Amino acid sequence: MRVTGRATARRGVARTGLWAALAAPGTLWLLALFAVPFYAVAAVAFGYTDPLFNAPIPEWDPRYWDVTTFGEVVQRSLTGDLRPVFLRTLLYVGVALTVCVLIGYPVAYYLARHAGRRKGLLLALVLAPWWINYITRMLAWLNLLQDDGYVNDLLMAGHLISEPVRWLSGNPYTVILALVYGYIPFFIVPLFSTLDRVDERLLEAARDLGCTGARAFWHVTLPLSRHGLMTAAAITALPMFGDYYTTTLVSGSPTTTMVGNQIEFYLLGGSRKELGASLVLILSALLMALMAYYLIATRRAERDLT
Amino acid sequence: MPPHPRDPLNRRLFLQVAGLTTLTGLAAACGGERPGRRAAAASAVPLSRPTSPATLPLHADVPAVASGLEPEKGGTLKLLNYAEYISPDVCKAFGKEHGVEVEVTVFTTMDEMIAKLRTAGEGFDVCFPTPDVIAKAAVGKLLQPLNASYLPHLAGVWPQLRDPFYDKGSRYTVPYNAYTSGIGYRADRVKSLPSNGYDLLWDAAYKGKSYVIDDAREGLALAMLRNGVTDINTEDPAKIKQAGAWLAELIPRTGVKVGISAYQLVAEGQATVHHCWSGDMINAQAYLPKGVDAEVLGYWYPDASLGVVGTDTMAVPRNATKPVLAHMFIDHLLDPKVAEQNFSYTGYQPALTAITPEKMVTDGFVTEQLKSTIVTPDVYARSLQILQISPPAEALWNDAWAAFKAGR
Repeated sequence: MRVTGRATARRGVARTGLWAALAAPGTLWLLALFAVPFYAVAAVAFGYTDPLFNAPIPEWDPRYWDVTTFGEVVQRSLTGDLRPVFLRTLLYVGVALTVCVLIGYPVAYYLARHAGRRKGLLLALVLAPWWINYITRMLAWLNLLQDDGYVNDLLMAGHLISEPVRWLSGNPYTVILALVYGYIPFFIVPLFSTLDRVDERLLEAARDLGCTGARAFWHVTLPLSRHGLMTAAAITALPMFGDYYTTTLVSGSPTTTMVGNQIEFYLLGGSRKELGASLVLILSALLMALMAYYLIATRRAERDLT
Repeated sequence: MPPHPRDPLNRRLFLQVAGLTTLTGLAAACGGERPGRRAAAASAVPLSRPTSPATLPLHADVPAVASGLEPEKGGTLKLLNYAEYISPDVCKAFGKEHGVEVEVTVFTTMDEMIAKLRTAGEGFDVCFPTPDVIAKAAVGKLLQPLNASYLPHLAGVWPQLRDPFYDKGSRYTVPYNAYTSGIGYRADRVKSLPSNGYDLLWDAAYKGKSYVIDDAREGLALAMLRNGVTDINTEDPAKIKQAGAWLAELIPRTGVKVGISAYQLVAEGQATVHHCWSGDMINAQAYLPKGVDAEVLGYWYPDASLGVVGTDTMAVPRNATKPVLAHMFIDHLLDPKVAEQNFSYTGYQPALTAITPEKMVTDGFVTEQLKSTIVTPDVYARSLQILQISPPAEALWNDAWAAFKAGR
């Protein structure tokens, strides 16, 4: 009886609009900081450039949108000079994500299941790099990885290599490694929170029903953590796609240029901001498709559980 | 087997979302031409060349400040400049003398500077434009004409720059600094200097250790000059494309990288050869790791007319709130003593006759080896300059550079 009573009470409050009001700040936030800027990007992409000052003039009225530049960028992305950039970005993010899974899953698993009382401390340590500013951390890598740096010294001392590895000379492995390093805490934390909530009794039940540890993991823990795994992948992949500074710092070579670098070039350096804005739209469309897939997949994962 | 009820629905939703983004593009394709949009004022901006100098227009509603006024007192003198491109000590001393705060707002590109000048309500007193944007800033009424009566030290500027081709009669600007674009290198690692120093960048011996300035015009001009092409302000698509192709040779041959930190990379040894500005190598002397001698730094600049020289200027924005003090500040920076102090901070050389390579070596500003970094009126006269080109041509240069940077 009390349950129904509470439910009625809640419906009563809903009628007063309290719940809607509670959502208002979030809605306003989203409108002000996402929808409006996104529309502005579209207005620049479909607008034109003031020939005198080289400044973009956004076209706010969709009736007058000029899509020639956008078409040019789409075409260049499919067949032209931007195609290798997109493919490279997809490859780097894909590999970096795989590495994140290989490194991050065991870490999150250990934290959630075996860390015991040290859980809090270890979680804090995973986030510890965040106490230091991003540039400083990356510059530290530059010192470690330079030709006569400690990494090469160590590898040479161990006779693993005979001459220094050129880590910083446009080496795609370094870029991927730097991406993983930069974003892996984003991966571990959401995965940890999912794994932490996995009901121990389900695993006990699996054991009771004759599963080995490995099979229990495969049939119970892994499916239950699928949702967290996808959230972690989405949270990590989205910023990686837009990253341009990591590759600038650890490589700087044209052979490791990512989409973000070309966006930066056209928006900051060039006279054609509408081209950079079009590139932003295309990247966003790609990310939106991925996000849509993520939403569908997580919903499916949730439904599988019930 | 009956289809799983869940899958088609989800696929449909997925397709809807994916299709939505495409639709946005399609809907946009229906867009028409806004009436009157093409009215452009670009043709009014003169493209100045050394062979066809430009006299910039004056506007009745943008007068120069009257002569003989007292400088404004109190408040803040606002400068708009690149980061670390003026000595804080020089600013502080000037502020103390005149009872004002001197505050620097920084920008990273000329586009950004222009955007800041156009922002309503921002009253900057002194800005530092490059010659390629002066014409549009003057035509667009962003600058005010200078009153030479407040600038007695202008007499000490190189003769060519007292009446420069980009601003005949120095109506809006006076020169700030001069620099060349050449090749900085580690003298201890470069075995022999080729007669064409640009070849250093094409030399596979320095694979993974060579850099090009991260700038479309500079980078492509480098490729042209290395191949003896002097037309570095061309609007010819074929020539621009050719420059891009020459530059792309570097990707497989030397694994070239792009950057603008030559002062640090050459000094620390990450770069053996670095296409850079002369000021970078002057600054590199301060970035040498402990125990490394300044003699390891070298700078090559061509003797013939195959080099690029650049200058920066000073101007007073139209909305300056302290125009008289702004003039005095500019004149202060042209005072050889102050200019030398400023030079020691920025590493970029004032275009004053008092600054000679010999004097800079004896004053300990540069090593004998880096004498080539000092620009003289002769070097300026024989060199090429990267100048303003039409917007469509600029788009071609940018696309060629973007293609190079895409690693094709």
